[in-house]
Amino acid sequence: MTRQYELSDSSVVVVIGSGAGGGTVANELAQKGIDVVCLEAGSRMTLADVVNHPPTMDGLMGWHDKRIGPMVWVCKTVGGTTMRWSGVAPRIQEHEFRALSTYGQLDKGTTLIDWPLTLEELLPYYDKAEDKMGVSGTHDIPPSAETNNYKVLKAGGKRIGYKEITSARTAINPVARAGRPGCQQIGFCNSGCAVGAKWSTLYTEVPAAELTGHFELRTQAMAVRINHDKSGRITGVVYADADGAMHEQKARAVCVAGNVVETARILLNSESSLFPDGLANSTGNVGRHYTRHTFGQAMAVMPKPVNYHRGTRQSGIILDEQYHKPERGFAGGYIIETLSLDPWNVSTWAGGWGPGNTAFTDDYTKLAGIFITGEDPPESVNRISLHPSERDENGLPVPVIEYRDHPNTLAMREHSLKMSRAIYESLGATDFTGSDIPVGAHNMGVARMSANPDDGVTNRWGQAHDIPNLFVSDGSVFSTSAAANPTLTIVALAIRQADHIAERMQARTL
Amino acid sequence: MNDKQTTRRRFIVAALTFSAVATNMPGISWLKSSEAWAKADDDSASPAMIRLARLLFPHAGMPDSTYRAVMGDVLAALAASPDSAGLVDAAEKALDARRGRPWVELGEVDQVAAVAEIQGEAFFAAILGAVRGVFYNHPQVWEHIGYPGSSKEFGGYKHRGFDDIDWLPGDVS
Ligand SMILES: Cc1cc2nc3c(=O)[nH]c(=O)nc-3n(C[C@H](O)[C@H](O)[C@H](O)COP(=O)(O)OP(=O)(O)OC[C@H]3O[C@@H](n4cnc5c(N)ncnc54)[C@H](O)[C@@H]3O)c2cc1C
Ligand code: SF4
Repeated sequence: MTRQYELSDSSVVVVIGSGAGGGTVANELAQKGIDVVCLEAGSRMTLADVVNHPPTMDGLMGWHDKRIGPMVWVCKTVGGTTMRWSGVAPRIQEHEFRALSTYGQLDKGTTLIDWPLTLEELLPYYDKAEDKMGVSGTHDIPPSAETNNYKVLKAGGKRIGYKEITSARTAINPVARAGRPGCQQIGFCNSGCAVGAKWSTLYTEVPAAELTGHFELRTQAMAVRINHDKSGRITGVVYADADGAMHEQKARAVCVAGNVVETARILLNSESSLFPDGLANSTGNVGRHYTRHTFGQAMAVMPKPVNYHRGTRQSGIILDEQYHKPERGFAGGYIIETLSLDPWNVSTWAGGWGPGNTAFTDDYTKLAGIFITGEDPPESVNRISLHPSERDENGLPVPVIEYRDHPNTLAMREHSLKMSRAIYESLGATDFTGSDIPVGAHNMGVARMSANPDDGVTNRWGQAHDIPNLFVSDGSVFSTSAAANPTLTIVALAIRQADHIAERMQARTL
Repeated sequence: MNDKQTTRRRFIVAALTFSAVATNMPGISWLKSSEAWAKADDDSASPAMIRLARLLFPHAGMPDSTYRAVMGDVLAALAASPDSAGLVDAAEKALDARRGRPWVELGEVDQVAAVAEIQGEAFFAAILGAVRGVFYNHPQVWEHIGYPGSSKEFGGYKHRGFDDIDWLPGDVS
């Protein structure tokens, strides 16, 4: 039962974005009987639209609006980047919530803080998130089936002495559950899962919300500005429809979940005489402390076939390096995960041309691959800002992305690639290449939660320090990056935020 | 052009669109306009360009016909926009100029050296990206290197060997 709300209906909560954060907070609110209008810039695909070819799917669902700066690889479609994600869903560790207390400030440039909440507080929500997403190895769900690529990782990991190697912690159904089938091992899950085994809000949160009768999804609705009244309270959201016509949806409260770059842009673009630097930006933190994890990837040519295109990109992880062990020469830790690439991406990442490049594609069937995600210290200079004059297709200021690797990140990457090489060489790999992945796939910061308003944008509920009925519901609220892939935590925080919003509404303080 | 070819052209457009994003190629808007390109004649590539493709991505045993097909697609894609139409000509001229005689007539060592000498040029990056994108999304290339393409229509690999590895040492597997 889908609802339709009047533009003038100021009783609704407007959620911007239908990805991991937006889709979840919208559904959780609707389940509680709170009326929600979800504005989604992209259009709505069905599973039948998914083809098993990443470049084609990037054309269909990728975000290609103009941006300046290093690449950010996200989606514009119902479901957002949960259509593209790999599904790895580890938790953030206890000490990572206390990044500043644990590591100390690394240097004058870093802006580490402690999270204004603890792991203990988040535990019940991690539990709910894992249940909702169907994370393997939790809630009586078996671990993921072990793919060839994972078996190589596991064997090499064991050889060099790693102990915490698991095929659990992936939000892909190993067996049918919650109306979705088990994984068919189609491969290249990043083009979207054609059968719906991988959790994506397109076919979980969004239809579940629609069933409540308290939810309206407006597709091809690009939010451009959030309006407020004289007192500074949010009153509505202006958006462009498919034809570019502008509308304003009135709102009781707004949750922004556009995936970091867009979240920062909307806040900054909503400047007014009351808020000349943009919404929630009285302390100048909107857009700053942008982190995107220490990324790395390794490819090895193994002595015999692996055929890593068969099956999930992600079927297991090694956790031994996720701890804070300063003797390695850097703060924080990283997680080692499997990775598989289509031939074109293999060639791209192998780089250059000639025999050095084709060494990898020639042995395509023998490739094994690793993806690294690790803690990345925030710096205030890593930021999203608006270009003073350039405008994009929608007439909006083009976002400018500035990001550089901190020396800690460089040291961590070097270590992780050394260990990756050791894993594969222990099994007789004949060729190896490792590199950075200069792409923002895990985006965090820019509206971070802080105990002290001077340090961030939102409080421990993701609620703006400056504006009580403005919430941020995506990875923008991460106080620091931690090592874990972010989505499980985004979802846990969104469930928790929905509880908070509902309580505040009941208490009539929102 | 049959349905299969049309679908593949669409793949290529998508591939090149993405590669342009990935490499931040400035000012190349040819990527999305596939119309002129869809009329392409696959025999349009010169011997020099076919040779170049082989040197860029040398796969032993891959027939010339594959390199020719790829370069036909690349040329058609580049020709679709005035911004990129001249790139291949520019590359051929630059290569010919390196040793004062047609590059295609040089020995392999000199040919590779000449390519290395022009690899810093902006047009070279654009051509390399385009050849890479078309080449590694081409079914003939996939077949040659052992990637069978989409598995969705075959029910994935759940019952077709996603976990069939049998050579890992027993003590760690
Ligand atoms: C290749 C890849 C693999 C990944 N693998 C993993 C993984 O294994 N594990 C993991 O934890 N994470 C992974 N991620 C990251 C994961 O996809 C993100 O963390 C997650 O999707 C972020 O959720 P979000 O709600 O912030 O943004 P998204 O999911 O991107 O959703 C944002 C939505 O907002 C919409 N939107 C944006 N701006 C506007 C606007 N102005 N108006 C209206 N709508 C708007 C967008 O269209 C989009 O639908 C991966 C990412 C990539 C790219
Ligand atoms: S491998 Fe599994 S999760 Fe990935 S796309 Fe295929 S069926 Fe979906």
